Amino acid sequence: MSNTIASEYGHTDTSVPIEHRFNPYSDNGGTILGIAGEDFAVLAGDTRHTSGYSINSRFQPKIMDLGDDLVMSANGFSADGDALIRSFQQQLTWYHFNNQNKKLRPSSAARLIQHLLYGHRFFPYYVHTIIAGLDEEGKGAIYSFDPVGSYEREQCRAGGAAASLIMPFLDNQVNFKNQYDPATGQARLKTYLKLDEVLNLVRDAFTSATERHIEVGDCLQIKIITKEGVREEFYPLKRD
Amino acid sequence: MVAQPVQKVFPLTLKITNLPSSNSSRPWRIPVRIDCYLSHIKMAGLSFDNFQRNQYIASKGVAMPKATSTGTTIVGCKFNGGVVIAADTRATAGPIVADKNCEKLHKLSPKIWCAGAGTAADTEMVTQLIGSNLELHSLYTNREPRVIASLTLLKQHLFKYQGHIGAYLIVAGVDPTGAHLFSIHAHGSTDVGPYQTLGSGSLAAMSVMETQWKENMTKEECIKLCADAIEAGIWNDLGSGSNVDVCVMEVGKDAQLLRNYITPNIREQKAKSYKFKKGTTAILRESIYNLVDVEETEIPVPMEVDA
Amino acid sequence: MSDPSSINGGAAVAMVGKDCVAIACDLRLGNQSLGVANNFEKIFNYDHTFLALTGLASDVTTLSEVFRLKTNLYKMREERSIEPETFANLVSSTLYQKRFGPYFIGPLVAGINSLTGKPFVCGFDLIGCIDYAKDFVVSGTATDQLYGMCESLYEPGLGPDDLFETISQAFLSAVDRDALSGWGAVVYVITKDKVTKRLLKTRQD
Repeated sequence: MSNTIASEYGHTDTSVPIEHRFNPYSDNGGTILGIAGEDFAVLAGDTRHTSGYSINSRFQPKIMDLGDDLVMSANGFSADGDALIRSFQQQLTWYHFNNQNKKLRPSSAARLIQHLLYGHRFFPYYVHTIIAGLDEEGKGAIYSFDPVGSYEREQCRAGGAAASLIMPFLDNQVNFKNQYDPATGQARLKTYLKLDEVLNLVRDAFTSATERHIEVGDCLQIKIITKEGVREEFYPLKRD
Repeated sequence: MVAQPVQKVFPLTLKITNLPSSNSSRPWRIPVRIDCYLSHIKMAGLSFDNFQRNQYIASKGVAMPKATSTGTTIVGCKFNGGVVIAADTRATAGPIVADKNCEKLHKLSPKIWCAGAGTAADTEMVTQLIGSNLELHSLYTNREPRVIASLTLLKQHLFKYQGHIGAYLIVAGVDPTGAHLFSIHAHGSTDVGPYQTLGSGSLAAMSVMETQWKENMTKEECIKLCADAIEAGIWNDLGSGSNVDVCVMEVGKDAQLLRNYITPNIREQKAKSYKFKKGTTAILRESIYNLVDVEETEIPVPMEVDA
Repeated sequence: MSDPSSINGGAAVAMVGKDCVAIACDLRLGNQSLGVANNFEKIFNYDHTFLALTGLASDVTTLSEVFRLKTNLYKMREERSIEPETFANLVSSTLYQKRFGPYFIGPLVAGINSLTGKPFVCGFDLIGCIDYAKDFVVSGTATDQLYGMCESLYEPGLGPDDLFETISQAFLSAVDRDALSGWGAVVYVITKDKVTKRLLKTRQD
């Protein structure tokens, strides 16, 4: 660790060349969260952009509307996230050219993103990616990816800095994990949540994460995908 | 920049005569660590029992657990006839907020207070230790403790520990010689000046100090300036947050601690209550203990009477 | 080898309610990813003061014995049980004594002051910095998850039964998202004159 070049004692001199290494990655904080409903999906994220103990921006929205009723966010190292989303958008443009503007399904988008990510298997995009949309049956769909393209369709997923704070809360409140019905003693049945219930959960998840994680705050961006299209809402978060 | 501690091995030449001599006539050269000799002497105070072991473990590339560090904003500023110190109230462990409303203003003596940044346990403990010694000194000399005395005790203690006690302090107070304001770094260096800032939010706070500060301020102006400087840290430094604590020390008056002087970060009402129905959690076994008072009474033994 | 405080795994949490406190811990003892025992309780009581110790299992056992000794000596000198607030300071100074060779633990203290009837919880870092909280404190390998759960589920002024449900749900969901915690859980709900210990049904993976 310490490159001692010369100490007070002449005979202990060691000539270690000083290595300067360029670290191509950094962490820009922030958190994202996606929940799928019966006929809708939401993708939410805070808008704080940080490096170290500094705030670079209080309003840098990171949930992107890709068209085709698809939204996407790649959280982590924001330069990589932006690059990934842009390369996806370009691929999507080519797809439209070649296929008479055919609408890209979330499942196909997910497979494409897998290849974009895995294409950088040994110099990965340093991001946790989530996309949201509606599947062929009109049901809400959330797909989440690790940095090298492993993905899964899920009911809900949190990603980024405060993912570990939010994810167990989602298990408990969306999938009712560990909850039993006091009357029957059986595990509480899984039911689809309504949109307003989901929005309440998202807001509480983010206000809680803001309280306990220093890189989360400033503003909450929520994109909501329904059969009517994509809608966006903003809520203020604490700024300390 | 904080200097990296360098582990030193002292070269020591020992002449060993009564060993079965090898064919060389050179005196033997054996590196001996001086502190081996000292290890038999029981020292008062902190125990270093596991220090070498942990250094070794750390050198193997093992991550050490992190202590709560107050990535902090603390400030101090003098005014006409007194001095004010202030601090934020966030304590962090890495990127997680460990305590949303901790106290970073410590009492050294009734009229000498100290704001602490750095390793939370160190600022707390060093402040308690020096506070005790200051009281003993004041009892012994039958005088009110002086700020310069507390500064000296603190810096000598911290210098002795070569920066390993991670306490970064702003010391302020009033004594028979007037109002004083100092700052101390963990290695033992000290600074004097009409205004001071320390901690991860010190640059945010100093930017306020450098633009707003003026000579001969009133008490109210000074409190406002300190609170504004802390707020700059709260909003712009991720290591600082929550509330502003202030302590005002005025010549000829008791010091007053204004705990949570400003609370600009109260959490809004949650969208939903998350109370659960009774019986939601599955229980395998339940046992109930009653806490009882045990009273012992002596029952006088009747004297044995001879028949 | 990795971080000493996450070799064995384990988590704990304590919460304040209305005239009551609750404290919970898991039962797992592991060696890295290998589960070794599912009956390793991390909560100890010194009369009406409760202590949860997470971290390196050998230090957990050692310290629980150290505090048993110290509280017994206290009881003999003072002819009364130690109060939670006093015990918190005892823990703090005991840990700071080993500032440069710390025990790899994260203690929590919970109890109700027998003189004032005031509920009390607090947490510590490994060198004894006290975190006085008026709502909840967490510790162990699932701290992030516990902070997220408690921050969203907790509300002030819960009675003993509601507090039990809240702390249990917060704890169970948190440890289920931590590979090193779980394998059973116990919850103590403490009121002025009664202590209820419940063993929870949990996932066993």
